[in-house]
Amino acid sequence: MKPLVVIGGGPAGYVAAITAARQGKQVTLIEQKDLGGTCLNEGCMPTKSLLASAEAYEKIKQAEQFGITLPLEQVKINWDGVQHHKTAIVKKLVQGIGYLMRKNSIKVMKGEASFLTNHRLAVRNENQVEEVEAEQFIIAAGSEPASLPFAPFDGKWIIHSGQAMSLPAIPSSLLIVGGGVIGCEFASIYSQMGAKVTIVEAADQLLPGEDADIAFTLQEELEKKGVAIYTSALLTEMQPENKKALFKHKEELHELQAEYALISIGRKPRVLGLGLEQVGVHFSKQGIDVNEHMQTNVPNIYACGDVVGGIQLAHVAFHEGTVAALHACGKDKSVNYRAVPRCIYTHPEIASVGMTEKQARSEYGDIRVGEFSFTANGKAMIANNPVGKVKVIVEPQFNEIIGLSIVGAHATELIGQGTIMLHGELTTDVMEDFIAAHPTLSEAIHEALLQSTGQAVHS
Amino acid sequence: MAAEVVMPKLGMAMKEGTVSTWNKKVGDSVSKGDMIASINSEKIEMEIEAPQDGVILDILVQEDVGVPPGTIICYVGNPNEQLTEQNRSANELQAPKNEVAATISLEEPPANAASSKKSKETVRISPIARKIAESENIDIETIKGTGPKGRITKADVEKVLAERAAEASHPPAERDNPAINKETLPVAGMRKVIASRMHNSLLNSAQLTINMRADVTDLLSLQQEIKEVTQQRHKVKISLTDFIARACVLSLQEHKQMNSAYIDNEIHLYNHVHLGMAVALENGLVVPVMQHAEKMSLVELAAEIKTRAGDARQGQLSTDRMQGSTFTITNLGTYGVEYFTPVLNPPETGILGVGATEDVPMYQGDELQRRSLLPLSLTFDHRVLDGAPAANFLGTIKQYLEQPILLLL
Ligand SMILES: Cc1cc2nc3c(=O)[nH]c(=O)nc-3n(C[C@H](O)[C@H](O)[C@H](O)COP(=O)(O)OP(=O)(O)OC[C@H]3O[C@@H](n4cnc5c(N)ncnc54)[C@H](O)[C@@H]3O)c2cc1C
Repeated sequence: MKPLVVIGGGPAGYVAAITAARQGKQVTLIEQKDLGGTCLNEGCMPTKSLLASAEAYEKIKQAEQFGITLPLEQVKINWDGVQHHKTAIVKKLVQGIGYLMRKNSIKVMKGEASFLTNHRLAVRNENQVEEVEAEQFIIAAGSEPASLPFAPFDGKWIIHSGQAMSLPAIPSSLLIVGGGVIGCEFASIYSQMGAKVTIVEAADQLLPGEDADIAFTLQEELEKKGVAIYTSALLTEMQPENKKALFKHKEELHELQAEYALISIGRKPRVLGLGLEQVGVHFSKQGIDVNEHMQTNVPNIYACGDVVGGIQLAHVAFHEGTVAALHACGKDKSVNYRAVPRCIYTHPEIASVGMTEKQARSEYGDIRVGEFSFTANGKAMIANNPVGKVKVIVEPQFNEIIGLSIVGAHATELIGQGTIMLHGELTTDVMEDFIAAHPTLSEAIHEALLQSTGQAVHS
Repeated sequence: MAAEVVMPKLGMAMKEGTVSTWNKKVGDSVSKGDMIASINSEKIEMEIEAPQDGVILDILVQEDVGVPPGTIICYVGNPNEQLTEQNRSANELQAPKNEVAATISLEEPPANAASSKKSKETVRISPIARKIAESENIDIETIKGTGPKGRITKADVEKVLAERAAEASHPPAERDNPAINKETLPVAGMRKVIASRMHNSLLNSAQLTINMRADVTDLLSLQQEIKEVTQQRHKVKISLTDFIARACVLSLQEHKQMNSAYIDNEIHLYNHVHLGMAVALENGLVVPVMQHAEKMSLVELAAEIKTRAGDARQGQLSTDRMQGSTFTITNLGTYGVEYFTPVLNPPETGILGVGATEDVPMYQGDELQRRSLLPLSLTFDHRVLDGAPAANFLGTIKQYLEQPILLLL
């Protein structure tokens, strides 16, 4: 009997498999498609590759600003090249996971797994079914795009994120339903590449989980690139025959025609088809129920990553996968969501950790907010990118740093500093004497912190 | 060589165990197999035996102090054997979280204890945790850290504050008054788990109890009839409880809404029946779970109930066998109770209370007969279903009990 079987080869699954193997377990990983899961194959990595191409193009168009003369009319995007860059990277990374599996003596099986009993799985591969027995299981089956009840994906006009990244050509126009992380990332990619993009979002702001003013900075920048944005807007009808969508905005009915309609309204945990009912694992459509060790109600079965719902991010999946595997190997390990960074790779980037201003106000009442704008930051000016700001939120009694949001260039790298502050439960007095290198974007974080305690120098 | 006696891990989920009683003290001699202590986890009580002949050299964990599994609780060795520092420090390596518990319980602290004690400066603690502790006058050396390498986090300090607040809101006025001579018992181990689960159950659901009586005269005679056969053939004596359990399982399959759980504003309906059966212990209560009871025949179910209840009484039920129930039965009939209000075992939707059968004269047609009636009390969560469907469910149980032949099929 195999000691431990992992279902799913995405970030949660492959990290769990490697961790368990390093603890000396004999591990089998079952994956129905390609190693790397959503993250490598149709999520984090490919979108970031497309964004990098879009940004390179944007930068080249600014050549004049930096004193470089180019035949700008000849600069254009070669879509096949963009796709090639993306596929080559994905391929390399997927191979890398394959190498890690071999290095850690993890057996990889191809097929779709479902439980027969709490110690046995059926693994279906084409028409063949093989049974696998094990003492313990880690379910890391991930998630899939949620669809609109009245407009199922057809892959032709109504598409999901996985399809949106491999279109045959840059679309002339694109309707994006849902202005969350994925919707905004695609809006950034395709608007920079020249598509006419429209976002229809039901909430009253883009990125509903983030600070309103931070999200608004992104909205302004997207609008400068010609993106039409409708918030508090409700999609009412989709007509694939004539590629037309109807939506209501401020009591007015709008009609929109677009080459593609990307539905990005969230992702749902892949809980069906795993045979969970068969073994009595508790779950709902929000995900599989787990305790702080990522253990389900059936003690030899664990679940981690997108399939448990919660925060659906690859780095959270890595952490949960590690915890599940260590606990399954007898280590007393629990998850730690103390400081989870949230990153949005738009142009400009947005990144945050901890509470938004609104959440902090409702929790603490009066709080201190420090802000510093990149328009006053030397490094941002030099890079011709003086857009955005850093905002730090401090709790009033002990000056604990409880939230940091950044909108601007390299925000997703800068947020690491905020993650450390929140994870370490630091207070502003600990950070006052901190020396930020000059000139850097990091100076903006330091200035924002100082402003929260009334000691700002440069503003 | 001195043998270490450690706090055992009774099931995957066990985080802490408590020595409820030491039967021996330092210096007592013991023979292999002697009971030296009773321990208490969140779910069960168990006796600990001496691993070898010898004397109790040292006791490291006092009564009613929770420690993680794997912590050394005492040493058994030769009467004049000296415990080495290495012996003593083993606990720190194995279970760093135990430092506090282990040091307070050392009867004679080693000479260098003072120097090995952590100074306030070297206590691992986050800046915000330190500030809160200082402002609230909490000695940081007394706080148990749950962060990396035992670092004290904000949450740890807040926990201490919450405990303080809870104590403050229930001033132990009476206890401190020598005029009232009262005994107080610590609410620890299993008692603590039961206390909080039952209290939360009543706080967090909408419980309603309905009652019905089932005429079990025919059932009791059927039981008499088949008792011998099952005893001989299957080595199980079928009790009234077993019939009730089977009736419940069949009824739950017909009334799925009752076989469900209310979790996070959603109702989870189960196809399988994991039947919980409350078993009274000397000082508490456990609920062993018969997993997949729907797949068992009456005889199989009866055998499973016997085994699990036996395990429970001997403190041998692993925690894994107490989880995941979808419906529970609790029987107070043996204590002469007629009707009562069972408290839901969360997150389940229903619990069936069984009372004592009573013989009464009853008209069967025009004729007065002696009939045995069984009182049944069903508590259900009104958030999940209403009175009528609950009554239908109870009615189905009644029907099965009144036509017992169906329970054998
Ligand atoms: C467009 C997009 C962009 C994203 N960008 C980011 C980002 O920038 N940063 C970030 O942190 N997160 C990002 N995410 C989210 C991230 O991709 C997910 O949080 C992460 O992939 C979750 O990992 P997982 O292992 O839980 O699941 P997945 O990556 O979904 O992997 C699950 C795997 O299990 C396999 N599987 C499922 N069922 C079975 C079965 N029955 N048998 C065998 N195999 C099975 C699937 O084929 C899949 O390979 C993005 C997501 C999308 C869609």
